[in-house]
This record gives sequence, structure tokens and C-alpha cells, in this order.
Amino acid sequence: MKHLMQVFVRGITRENPLMILMIGLCATLAVSTQFQGAVFMGIAVIFVLTMSNAIISVFRRFIPDEVRIPMFIVVIASFVTIVDLVMKAFVPSVYAFLGIWIPLIVVNCIILGRAEAFAYHNGVLASIADGLGMGIGYTAVIVLFAFVRELFGSGAVKFLGATLVGLPSWYPAPAVVLLFPGAFVLFGLFLALWRALVSRVGEERGVCR
Amino acid sequence: MTAAAQLALLFVGAALVNNILLTRFIGLCPFFGVSSSMSTSIGMSLAVVFVMTLASGATWMAWKFILSPLGVGEFLYIPAFILIIAALVQFVEMYLKKASPVLYRAMGIYLPLITTNCAVLATATESAKPGFFKMNIALGSSLGLGEALVYTVGVSVGFGFALLTFAALRERLEAAPVPEALKGAPIAFITAGLLSFAYVGFAGWFGL
Repeated sequence: MKHLMQVFVRGITRENPLMILMIGLCATLAVSTQFQGAVFMGIAVIFVLTMSNAIISVFRRFIPDEVRIPMFIVVIASFVTIVDLVMKAFVPSVYAFLGIWIPLIVVNCIILGRAEAFAYHNGVLASIADGLGMGIGYTAVIVLFAFVRELFGSGAVKFLGATLVGLPSWYPAPAVVLLFPGAFVLFGLFLALWRALVSRVGEERGVCR
Repeated sequence: MTAAAQLALLFVGAALVNNILLTRFIGLCPFFGVSSSMSTSIGMSLAVVFVMTLASGATWMAWKFILSPLGVGEFLYIPAFILIIAALVQFVEMYLKKASPVLYRAMGIYLPLITTNCAVLATATESAKPGFFKMNIALGSSLGLGEALVYTVGVSVGFGFALLTFAALRERLEAAPVPEALKGAPIAFITAGLLSFAYVGFAGWFGL
């Protein structure tokens, strides 16, 4: 139990996929213009990551080493398809906003990286804990980042039509925060701040770039 | 507008106005991963132009002649496209190794990395499956094969151009005095941000 807890917490802090491992960045920068979109993106990644970790861990003794990557990809693609169809049916406005980023979860380095580095070598419960921890670590960063960008870029944070927080109307809301240069510069500052305050571990990269 | 002019517009729009790396953030992993030197960036760019064009052509045909007529496209396109790309990369690698050792030396080691490169899957999906292509240009709801190929070459040239510019900046960055907290990845992001400011200037060109 203690071991599972350690595996779970590690994904959020010491090995946070975005801040420390620096994988799966593309979607983070792209969908963080909107708090609501980021929340759903996070949920989608938690679901796919946990489920694919669990399935791959269950079948790890039957997957031959030579064809493991294609097999991982097929498992991951199946869960991404579930997310794709469910979102299209139930939250069409979010689906329209996320667009190409939903199918791109398949090639999100976090998911394939965890399948390869963790689920393929560990038990089912540990893999689920790892998937949840990594997924929540990802979601925490992307949601926080989107909150900051939407708040300071548009002056108010909205979720499913309701305004969560708003800045006073005299705030000029610079559009550059929501434009693409703002994403790069703010993420750089975010990264520096995280490393100074939360944790500082050397960068490492998994199977994918 | 003539067809040729429209294709030219599509190319410019894909390469500069909607640059895949700096304005759409697709394919950032190689952008930060291999951009630390000029020579690796050149190899990677070559490999991306090559594989992306082949992949778009292949997925376009798979959608048009197999997935769409059978009515299974909506729920099979993700696994189908990614497997097509993976198989294609494997074949290209084997073929190049045998047929053209020079080309293989130049871009061989980057080929396996490209399988999981989101830029390739994104462009292939946009070219093949109707509904994902979002550029503000009157081409109907889905792209024809020629348009898809022009679009893909545009995207991949834009990818290579951005990667090479960034690699040049990063080589210079090695020697720059950077504050302790920003060393490494944070300053790379801020540099990329400054570079992408230049692409804000392309927005609105020719009404794209």
C-alpha cells in the first residue's frame, strides 16, 4: 500500500511528466488557451493513461518484445477512440475546441512512455497507481496553466458557460497571453518557477521525442 | 482564383501562416529534443518532409478507398492511421538502408522517432479525414489528393524551416549568460516564444 502511494505521488511531484520529464508538451501549450478545454483534456489523458497502463500490465507476459510498440499503440488507440466518440457525442463544444488534439493523444509521449517504462515491467495495481499519478500530475499542471492564461489573457475564467473568476473591467487583458508566443514564454517562466519551488530533478527522456 | 494560385496559397498558409511548430504547437518534442545542433536538425527535417508526404498520401487513399466506403472510418481512423504510419516508416527504413545508403546515413536514425511524432499523425489526419482541416481557404469540406499533398509538403517545409532557425538560435544560446533559474529548458521555451513572435506577423497574410 505504501509502495502504491509512493508510485502515485511520484507522478505528481518528483517525476511530473510536464515539469520534470518534459514530455507531452504539445497539447499542453495548444489547449491551455481555455480552462474548460484543459480540464477535459486532462480527464481524457487520465482515462487513457490509466486504462492502457492496466491493460498492458495485465498482458505484459504475453507481449513479445519485438512487437511491443505496435501492440502498445493499438491498445492506446482503442482507448483514444472511446474518448473521441464519447466527447463527440456528449460535449460537442469541447470536442470542437480540442479538434485534432483528441486523436493526437495516441502519440502523446506520456502514454507510450509510461507503457514502455512502467506498465510493461510492473504489476497491475502499481501500473494503475502510476497511470493515475502521472495523469493527475499532467492534469494539475495543464489546468493551472490554462487558468492563468485564460484569466490574464481574457480577463475571466469560464467553465461550461459559468464565469468562475473575473478580473475587474479596468484590466486591459493583453491578447498576447492567449496568442502562441504567450504560451511559449509563460510556459518557460512556469517551468522555472516550478523547478525553483516544487522539485528539481535532471531531465530524462523515454522512448519518444 | 485560379487553381494554381489556390495551391500556392495553400502552401504558404501551411508553411508560414499556420506554421505547425510555432503557431500550432504540434511536434514540439523533436523541436526541443533534436534542435541542439544544426546537423541533427537537418537530418530530422529531411526525414519529416519525406515521411510526412508519404504518410499523407497513404492515409488519404486509405480513407477514400477503404475506411470511408466500408463505413468504418469514424471509429477506426485513429488505429488505422497510426498503424499505416508505423508500417510505412518501417518499410521506408528498410528500403533506404538497401537502396540508398547515403540518404539512410543522413536521416536513418530519425526515422523510428517519427512514428510517434504527432506532427506526422496530425497532418495525415487533417489531409485524409474531412472535418479536421481548419485553414481559412475555400477548398470545400475535404481535400483532394493533390491538395492534400501540397498541404503536407507546405506543413513539412514549415516544420523544417522553424526547426533550423531554432537550432541556429540554440547554438548561440550555449554561449549566452543565462540566469541560474532559467538555464536549460525554461530559456529554450522563452527563446521559442520570441521566435514565434515573428510568426504573429504572418497572421492575416492573403486573408489566411
